[in-house]
Amino acid sequence: MKWLELVQVAGATLVAAVTVVVLYSLGVRLTAIAGDVNERKPSWVRPLAYVCFGLCGLAVLFGLYLIIPYFSK
Amino acid sequence: MVALVIALALFFDFTNGFHDTANAMATPIATGAIKPKTAVALAAVLNLVGAFLSTEVAKTVSGGIIKEGSDGIQITPEIIFAGLMGAILWNMITWLKGLPSSSSHALFGGLIGAAIAGIGIHSINFESLMQKVILPAIFAPVIAGAVAYLCTKLAYALTSRHDPESGGKLTQKRGGFRTGQIFTSSLVALAHGTNDAQKTMGIITLVLIAAGLQDPGSGPQFWVITSCALAIAIGTYSGGWRIIRTMGSGLTEVKPAQGFAAESSTASAILASSHLGFALSTTQVASGSVIGSGMGRRGTSVRWGMAGRIALGWLFTLPAAGIVGALTAMLVQTGVVGVVIAAVAGTAAVLYMFLRSKKSHVGHHNAVEVDQAGQAVRFRKKKKAMSVSSSKDEPKGGL
Repeated sequence: MKWLELVQVAGATLVAAVTVVVLYSLGVRLTAIAGDVNERKPSWVRPLAYVCFGLCGLAVLFGLYLIIPYFSK
Repeated sequence: MVALVIALALFFDFTNGFHDTANAMATPIATGAIKPKTAVALAAVLNLVGAFLSTEVAKTVSGGIIKEGSDGIQITPEIIFAGLMGAILWNMITWLKGLPSSSSHALFGGLIGAAIAGIGIHSINFESLMQKVILPAIFAPVIAGAVAYLCTKLAYALTSRHDPESGGKLTQKRGGFRTGQIFTSSLVALAHGTNDAQKTMGIITLVLIAAGLQDPGSGPQFWVITSCALAIAIGTYSGGWRIIRTMGSGLTEVKPAQGFAAESSTASAILASSHLGFALSTTQVASGSVIGSGMGRRGTSVRWGMAGRIALGWLFTLPAAGIVGALTAMLVQTGVVGVVIAAVAGTAAVLYMFLRSKKSHVGHHNAVEVDQAGQAVRFRKKKKAMSVSSSKDEPKGGL
């Protein structure tokens, strides 16, 4: 029985999905804060939101890089 | 015979495509993130691309469930023909019922049935069957569901905004998730292409080898890859609207943040499993994710009746496809006449189901009633778009 592989798949799924979702959610949240009218906010909020989206995109691209055999061979 | 099997395999690929469009595109259609027609077109293109990306899975298609090789039994084109027949008919039936069910399980079921009838029960490797089909079928929805549940919780927790003083709810502004859904659902479609088109490539290659037209141990030829990729893309484009309806609105009500979480989990699970060699079914992962994300959002109910019907469908997939496969195998063994009878009967059955589906037409215009709600939600997005105007050109690019 391949229990180890099962655990590996479950773990990889968890890590990958949580990374993407957390980064994207942070991005959404920061964009929301940056978009608030009538509220003072630090000027780094919007750039930070973009950094979150960017990291999220990078995480996805890294995942693709790992998976497509053309690159990882 | 070889030509017939290849034609049948390509048709199976086509049914596989339209059966599984729902996995990737049901939730974005339901939330109104992408228009239905655009969604299936996008899924079709990504399936096409995905099919070309990797041919790793193609090499291990029957996966040792049927003992092959020198000490085992040689799989004949006849067995594959019978197996494909079982798989196609089961795919058509579940499509008519709007049930998302695993195309790969249908294929395995058909092949197993055909092998038992055509060769004998000793030809089946039950340990391998347990390991490759039955246990993953239990774990796929559980893993995907649990991860989707957690992700939905996280997404909502991270974006819930309360006024620090009064404690009242602020505008939540979760519109960004709708844009994100386009990317995550594309990823699912891509993952599907890398997985499912491979199975048909594997089958055709197996037939070519069995018929002595290709060297054993060599990979799929280029025309095989191309035609399989095209077949699955065309299938995806024709859209299994009935199944999209079930996945998009039958299981639970889907909101953009939920859809985003569900699709991220689906994509991660499929890609992780296909990369680490513990094959999980795309359909089962996607259904599990949708249910999990439905449980993760407060105020949503999961329609367990529908979930139960789907699970029941999964239980029947192996035996039902197996029985059709077995019957076809017995017919085919009687000789050329049997093959002709089987082919004609199969075509007639597919045609009959197609005609019956016409009676209650489900197309892109009415696949998801939520489309109405989707438009209402999109209306709200416009207001949001003003305050978050530049969120569209965020540097999320690539993909």
